[in-house]
Amino acid sequence: MLLFLILLPFSGGLLAFVLPKNSLRKILLIGVASIHLAAVLGLWSGGMPDNGSGPVFLGLDVLGKLILTVISILFAAVSVYLWGYLKNERACNRIFTGCLLLLLSSMTLVSVSAHMGLLWVALEATTLMSAPLISFERSPQNTEAAWKYVLICSVGIALALLGTIMLAISSGNFKTVFLNDLLNHASVLTPSWLKLSVIFLLVGYGTKMGLAPMHTWKPDAYAQSPAPIGGLLSGALTACPILAILRVVQICNRADLSSFIEPILMVMGVLSLGVAAVFILRQKDFSRMLAYSSVENMGIIALGLGLGQAAYWPSMFHLINNALTKGFMFMLAGNLYQHYRSRDMGQIQGVYAQNALMGVLLVLGFMSLTAIPPSGTFFSEIMILSAAVQSKHYLIAAMFIVFLSVIFIGMAKGALQMFHHGPASKQESSPMVHPVSSMAPILVLGAIILALGLHVPVFLENVLRSTQTSLGGR
Amino acid sequence: MLPIFSHILFVLALSPLLLGVIGKTKAFFAGRWGPPLLQPWYDIAKLFRKGVVYSTTTSWVFKLTPVVVMATALASCIFVPWGSIAPPVYFWGDALLFIYLYGLMRFFLIIGALDTGSSFEGMGASREAAFSCLSEIVLFMDFILLVMVSKSLVLCNMLNTGFFSSWLSMGPVLVLVAVSFFLVMLVENSRIPIDDPNTHLELTMIHEVMVLDHSGYDLGLILWGSYIKLFVLGSVLVSLFVPAHLSPLTGVTFFLCGMGVLGITIGVVESVMARLRLNRVPHLLIGAFVLATLGFIVILLKGA
Amino acid sequence: MWLDISLIVIILSGIVLLGSSRIGTIIQLFAFQSLVLSSIPLQVDRAGLNWHVLTIAFGTLIVKVFVMPNFLFWAIRHVRLRREAPTILGYGKTMLLGGILVGMAFYISSKLTLPDRYFSRLFIPAAFSIFAIGLLLLVSRVKAITQVIGYLVMENGIFLFSMLLLDKTPFLIEMGILLDIFVAVLVMSIVINNITEDYEDTNTLNLTTLRD
Repeated sequence: MLLFLILLPFSGGLLAFVLPKNSLRKILLIGVASIHLAAVLGLWSGGMPDNGSGPVFLGLDVLGKLILTVISILFAAVSVYLWGYLKNERACNRIFTGCLLLLLSSMTLVSVSAHMGLLWVALEATTLMSAPLISFERSPQNTEAAWKYVLICSVGIALALLGTIMLAISSGNFKTVFLNDLLNHASVLTPSWLKLSVIFLLVGYGTKMGLAPMHTWKPDAYAQSPAPIGGLLSGALTACPILAILRVVQICNRADLSSFIEPILMVMGVLSLGVAAVFILRQKDFSRMLAYSSVENMGIIALGLGLGQAAYWPSMFHLINNALTKGFMFMLAGNLYQHYRSRDMGQIQGVYAQNALMGVLLVLGFMSLTAIPPSGTFFSEIMILSAAVQSKHYLIAAMFIVFLSVIFIGMAKGALQMFHHGPASKQESSPMVHPVSSMAPILVLGAIILALGLHVPVFLENVLRSTQTSLGGR
Repeated sequence: MLPIFSHILFVLALSPLLLGVIGKTKAFFAGRWGPPLLQPWYDIAKLFRKGVVYSTTTSWVFKLTPVVVMATALASCIFVPWGSIAPPVYFWGDALLFIYLYGLMRFFLIIGALDTGSSFEGMGASREAAFSCLSEIVLFMDFILLVMVSKSLVLCNMLNTGFFSSWLSMGPVLVLVAVSFFLVMLVENSRIPIDDPNTHLELTMIHEVMVLDHSGYDLGLILWGSYIKLFVLGSVLVSLFVPAHLSPLTGVTFFLCGMGVLGITIGVVESVMARLRLNRVPHLLIGAFVLATLGFIVILLKGA
Repeated sequence: MWLDISLIVIILSGIVLLGSSRIGTIIQLFAFQSLVLSSIPLQVDRAGLNWHVLTIAFGTLIVKVFVMPNFLFWAIRHVRLRREAPTILGYGKTMLLGGILVGMAFYISSKLTLPDRYFSRLFIPAAFSIFAIGLLLLVSRVKAITQVIGYLVMENGIFLFSMLLLDKTPFLIEMGILLDIFVAVLVMSIVINNITEDYEDTNTLNLTTLRD
């Protein structure tokens, strides 16, 4: 079954390279995405996954399953959205579709790999497969963004490879990086090598996640890629390195090194929040603002993981909400860009007056981004804050509040302007209409976000609690 | 006395030959037949048949310089073994004397150049002084490494004793010493890529410009002295690779073959490389220094 | 002894890389370093020659010594100015810094204890040194092509590290890593090719249109 999930998009990707027509490739994309989604949702009906205990390459625990589901939902939404989006793009989409499907394949591989080396291979593959997506609209700016993305992420990931090898060295005579072996023998890992390896792994995968100060590729890459791809990158692709970091946390908790990894994660998280706050405040470009918001949310997740077990499941909940919101917002932004032909928030004005539905959706997305209740992010952020207070990290809690307020002000300035200010002369602008394929995924994602904000289903709550157990909390 | 004389005669006779080998190699790479192997000898013989001209501004320092150059070059050669033939003179600490003899030679070359009062020669002297500051550090560093490997401050012991076994344990260090010493040797003797001994282009000359005012047998002495310097420094490098405890005949044969290989190597380097810009020369020396330091770290790690 | 000398030659080529400015030379030096590197698996192999070790050695040889340099030469085929632009730091200081990093690598490795036997005391210091030299090359140079070489030199350091695990690493993973790096260089070459078409140079200081 797991093999099927990987090979389906993989063969789909290869097929996309040989199919002759753009329209056939779009059908292929949606077909593969929906089968993938159906198969992933089908996994949940089989009861709680069995971790197994021996050295296996592929295995699906609850963490991987959760992240795989997020990836699959977001990918399906984006692939439907691309149906209408690609109609406006004249260029041949052979490489684009092929790489997109290979990206899904490698993201799936990340979430089902139970071997740290395989995880690394899959993560590096995600970087390489997403680079052509960024430079899809071949302009000098795209080239620049793709270059920064590939180089910075590859170097970061190279650090993580070094960390992985050190992890293997730390395991002594086992010399293994099978996750099960590592977790079962966590107590015999050599501490000095393990610490060194944890530092390299955190910096390496943190780069891929976009934690400050390794975030510099992020605004460029997200803003230059086509808007839905930005959503896929900031929602689904960031979940992959987060999974890698979750594995590191898992190992550290088992090896009694949680006091070593937690301060590092907290510092990285707060730093990301601070950097995001500074850059959001004077941001003009909508996509870049969303990118910095992504830096912020990665920071929140890292901070949550660093605060210990009380904040584990809020972090996971935040991850889900953030991924859905980012996909939602970027697709919404895509619609706005196609109408206004600009990404400048000064140019995009009077959305509500033009199209009431878009205006309402914009406000919904904005609420979820800045964690205004009723949104799931409000819930998770307040839980993380309370965990910080309870564990007596008052300074961290204070900085958390300050940075979030600054970010709120920065985003409110831009988003409300877009919502409210009317265009100078109404008759000049054409009416804002979007095809069904460009609205349906946004509406579906919006509904999920709203539902999660109002009520967390018992099923999801159980899953989140079991992630906490799996991460090593009690 | 006899061993000393034979040693000196040996080096007097063979040192121009090394230049001949270099010249032949370069000619081969340029696709020419080139000057005969004994051409450096003919040059020296020609210069010694000529009279000297002294500028009226020069003093006794200028006249003393060629003599000092020749004397220090010959004095330095008696500390160096030729293959398995031990040097006629050796004592504890002669390695330091060896280095400072070259310091003395350089000092006299520089003040001799300054004595002419020509700004042109002064420029060459300043370059020589600047680069030798850097190259001397590397030379010392290399000698320190050799001292640490051999645990002796006697030059012939540093170069020869038990080195076949040293290569087994200290191979990496000796590779580093050999490479950085080779670079220093090129700098000290003003070979390409530091300085082109064949040109008289004022922009990049170092050594040639300093001896521009010397003529006749004075110039012959200086040229011969610099041949000997190249030969002696080269023989230090070659001695690192000569196994110890060979019979005298095989040892000397091994040594001479090594010198031949060295001459060819220098010729190849000079043929394939262009001269560096003057401001890049320090980079080369810094590189050599880093290599020597690396060797130092390796020794510390190996706990020798 | 030969292992030690190979390791030193690898470090040496790294330091020479730090001091070179011609892009052609830099690529060839990288190929030379990889050539020496590809012999390491054969030297540390204890189980006798088997297909596993041979495949790794030959895979590295083909990919890093022949294929990658050719890609990189392909990427800069239209570039007339094949010299590294002047850097902020300068070559002399970069090399000195490289020497300091190598020293630190030796110092750090002397503090680490390996859980079990290993081949040479120079092994871990050499791996760290090459890694650090690659990183330094990456951050101190401005041409895109040199930055890629810096990345690859880093990768060589990691390769050296992974030799400690030669007998235990699954073959599949090793091939996956090699394939990933191969594709990375392919993608980077294509991007560099695009950069040279857009800017007629591979100087990354030109890439300044995107900023906050």
